[in-house]
Amino acid sequence: MGGLSASLNIATQSMLAEQGAIETTTNNIANANTPGYSRQVPNLEEAGTIQIGSLTYGTGVQLGSVTSLRDAVLDLRVNQETQQQGQLNAFLEGGQQIQELFNETSGTGLQAPLSAFFNSLSGLASNPSDLTTRQNVITSVQDLATAFNQTSNNLNTLQRNTDLAVQQSVSQVNSLTAQIAQVNQQVVTATKSGENAGPFEDQRQQLINQLSNYIDVSEIDAGDGGLTLTTTSGAALVVGNQSFALSTQANPTTGFQDVYSNGSDITSQITGGALAGQIQIRDQEIPAMQNSLDTLAYNLSTAVNNQNKAGYDLNGNPGGNLFTPLTQVQGAAASLTVATTDPTLIAASGTPGPYNTAANINATGDNSNANALLALQNQNIVDGQTPLSYYSDLVFKIGNDVSTAQTTQQAGSQTLLQLQNLQGGVSGVDINEEAANLVRFQTAYQASAQVATVINTLLQATINMVT
Amino acid sequence: MSVRINPDLLPDLLASIQQSEQNENTATTQLSSGRTVNSPSDNPAAAAAIVLNHDQSSQDAQFLQNISTLQGRFQVADSTISNVVEVLNQALSLGTEGANGTVSATDRQAIATEVQGLLTQTVGLANTTYQGAYLFGGTNVTQQPFTVDATTGAVNYNGNPNTTSVEISQGNSITANVPGDQLFQNANGSVLGALQDLYNALNTGTNMPAAVTEVQNALTQLDTQRVTYDNALNQINLSESFLNQDQLNLSQQENTLEGADLSVVASNFSQAQLADQATLSATSQVLTQKTLLDYLA
Repeated sequence: MGGLSASLNIATQSMLAEQGAIETTTNNIANANTPGYSRQVPNLEEAGTIQIGSLTYGTGVQLGSVTSLRDAVLDLRVNQETQQQGQLNAFLEGGQQIQELFNETSGTGLQAPLSAFFNSLSGLASNPSDLTTRQNVITSVQDLATAFNQTSNNLNTLQRNTDLAVQQSVSQVNSLTAQIAQVNQQVVTATKSGENAGPFEDQRQQLINQLSNYIDVSEIDAGDGGLTLTTTSGAALVVGNQSFALSTQANPTTGFQDVYSNGSDITSQITGGALAGQIQIRDQEIPAMQNSLDTLAYNLSTAVNNQNKAGYDLNGNPGGNLFTPLTQVQGAAASLTVATTDPTLIAASGTPGPYNTAANINATGDNSNANALLALQNQNIVDGQTPLSYYSDLVFKIGNDVSTAQTTQQAGSQTLLQLQNLQGGVSGVDINEEAANLVRFQTAYQASAQVATVINTLLQATINMVT
Repeated sequence: MSVRINPDLLPDLLASIQQSEQNENTATTQLSSGRTVNSPSDNPAAAAAIVLNHDQSSQDAQFLQNISTLQGRFQVADSTISNVVEVLNQALSLGTEGANGTVSATDRQAIATEVQGLLTQTVGLANTTYQGAYLFGGTNVTQQPFTVDATTGAVNYNGNPNTTSVEISQGNSITANVPGDQLFQNANGSVLGALQDLYNALNTGTNMPAAVTEVQNALTQLDTQRVTYDNALNQINLSESFLNQDQLNLSQQENTLEGADLSVVASNFSQAQLADQATLSATSQVLTQKTLLDYLA
C-alpha cells in the first residue's frame, strides 16, 4: 500500500487507538475509589510495517492490549497479614470479654469473696462462740460458692457465644468460596481467550482477601490463570470452578461444633482468620481459665472440708463438710455449693465433746480449729500455691494473653497498612496521573484528526487536478 | 524514578485518626477512673499484684476488727481484775482489823460476815461475761466458771485450763485469755482460797495472821497474772498502729501499681487531642485537594 489513502487509514486507526486509551483512562478515573480495583494501562504499540520496493513504511499505531497492574506477591502478603489480623481480632474480642470477669481493678472477680471468706474465719478465731460471727462464716461460704458459680457460668456463656460465632464464620467461608469458584472460572475463560482478565482478578483478590478474614488460605497457581485455594493444612476450598464447603458437627465430648472438610475434622488445623481466633478462645483459652477456676474451687473446698472435719462444732461433735464435697476437678467451680447453713456446725474447736455434759471439757471458746481453717489461707493447697496467689496468677495469665495479642495485633495492623500502601503504589489510581494521560491522549487524538483533515484537503486537490 | 506511592492517602490518615482517637479515649478513661490499669491486659503484672494488695488490705481491715473485739474483752477483763484487787485490799484491811487482839468476838463475827460478802462479790466478778461469753472459764465460755458448793461453801472451778491464741496481724498471735483457775485459784496464791481462809480464821478466831499473809500473797499473785492482759493490751495497741500504717502503705502501693499520674495523663490527653486535630485538618485538606483536572478546566 502507500499513498494518501494509507495515510488516512493511519490517521483513522490512530484516532481509534487514542480513543481506546482515553476510554481506559476514563475507566480508571471512574474506579478511583472502587475497592479492589487495579488501575489499567492501555498498551499502545506500533502497527506492522509494509515494504514497498526498498522502502519500509510504518502503518501507524494500534491499541495492543489493556492490562491491569497488580503485584501477585503483594496480594499474597496482604492476604496472609489479613489472616493474622482476622485471628487476632477474633481472639481479642473473646479475650477482652474473659478478662472483664477477672477485672480486679474495678472490683469484679474472685478476690473479694475469697478474702471475705478467710476474713470471716479470722473473725471466727477471735470470737469462736459468737453466733453472729459464725453466721458471717456461713454467709461468706455461700457468697464464695455463688461467685465461683457465676464466674464459671459466665465463662460458659462466652464459650457458647463463641461457638455460634464459629458456625457463622464457617457459613461466611462457604459463601465466599462459592463466589470465588465462579470468578475463578471467569479468570480462566478470559485468560484463555486473551482478554484482559484483570477485572475478574480484582474481584477474585477482593474475595480472597475477605476470605482471609475468616480462615487461613493457601493459594496455588493452576497455570491457566485459575487459582487453587486450600487451607494451610491442605483442606481444599476452591479448585477451578468448584468450591468445597466446610461443615460443622457437634463434638460428642464438648458439644461444640467441630469444623469438617470433606469428612475430616480440621478444627485444630485452622491457623488463621477469625475461625482460628474463635476456636482458640473456645477450645483453649476458656477451657484453661475454666480449669484454673475448677482447680481452685476443688482444692480450696476440699481443704476447708477436711480441716472442718478435723475439728469440733459448737456442740463438741466432730465437724462435717462446709462445702458439698466434690468428686472431681472438672466442673468444680460450677457445682460448688454450701453443705450447711447452720452456724453452730462450723468446727472452730479442737477439743472433742460432747459438750454440756462434763463441764471441764466444754470448749465452746476453743478456737484452735478456727485458727487451722484460717491458716489454709497461707498454705499451698492449690497446685503448690496459696489460694490467693493461685488466683492472682490466673489474673496475670488472662491479662498477659490479651496484652500479647494486642501488641501483635497492633504491629500486624501497621504491617498490613504498609503492605496495602505498597499495593496501592502498584495498583492504585492516581487522578493526576490519569489527567495527564487524558490530556496526552486527547492531544494525540486531535492531532490525528487534524492529519485526517489535511489528507482530505490533499485528496480534494488531487481530485480537482483530474477534473 | 522514585517508587510510585499509594495515591490514596486516606488509609494512612484514617489509621492515624483512629490511633489518636484511641489515645484520647485511653487518656479519658484514665482521667475518669484515676487509674492506668483499667483491665488486666493494661498491665498484667500490676493486675496480679493488685489482687494480693487488695487481699492484704482486707486482711488488715479484718485484723483491726478482731482487735476491736479483743480490746473490749481485755478492757472488761482488766477492769474486773482491778475490782478484785480492790476487794482484796478491803479484805486485807478487814483482816488486819480482825487480827487486832482488842476486837471483841462479836465484832470479829461481823467482820467475818463482811469478808464473806467480799468472797461472794469476788465469785461474781470471776464469773464476768463479755458479749455473752464467760471471760474466765478457759475455753469453756458457755458455763459459769465458778460455783459455790451449797453444803461445804467451797468454790468449784468448772472451766478448763486452756488458752486461746488469736492472730492480730499477719503471723503475729497473742494469748487472748487467762483461765480463771490460774487467776483466782492459783497454787502460789489463791484469791478465792485466801478469802475463804480469812473468813474461816475470823469466824473461828484462829490463824488470823497467816490468813492475812495469804491474802497478801494472793494479791501479789493476781498482779503477776494480770500482766498477761496488760501485755496483750499493749500488743494489740502496737498492732493497731502497725495495721493502720500497713493499710496506708498498701494503698500507696496500690496507687503506684495502678494509679494514674493525673498531670501525665492530662498532658497525654492534650497531646492526643492535638494530634487528632492535626490529622483531621490534614485529612480535610487532602479530601479537598485540587487535582490536575481542576487546572485543566
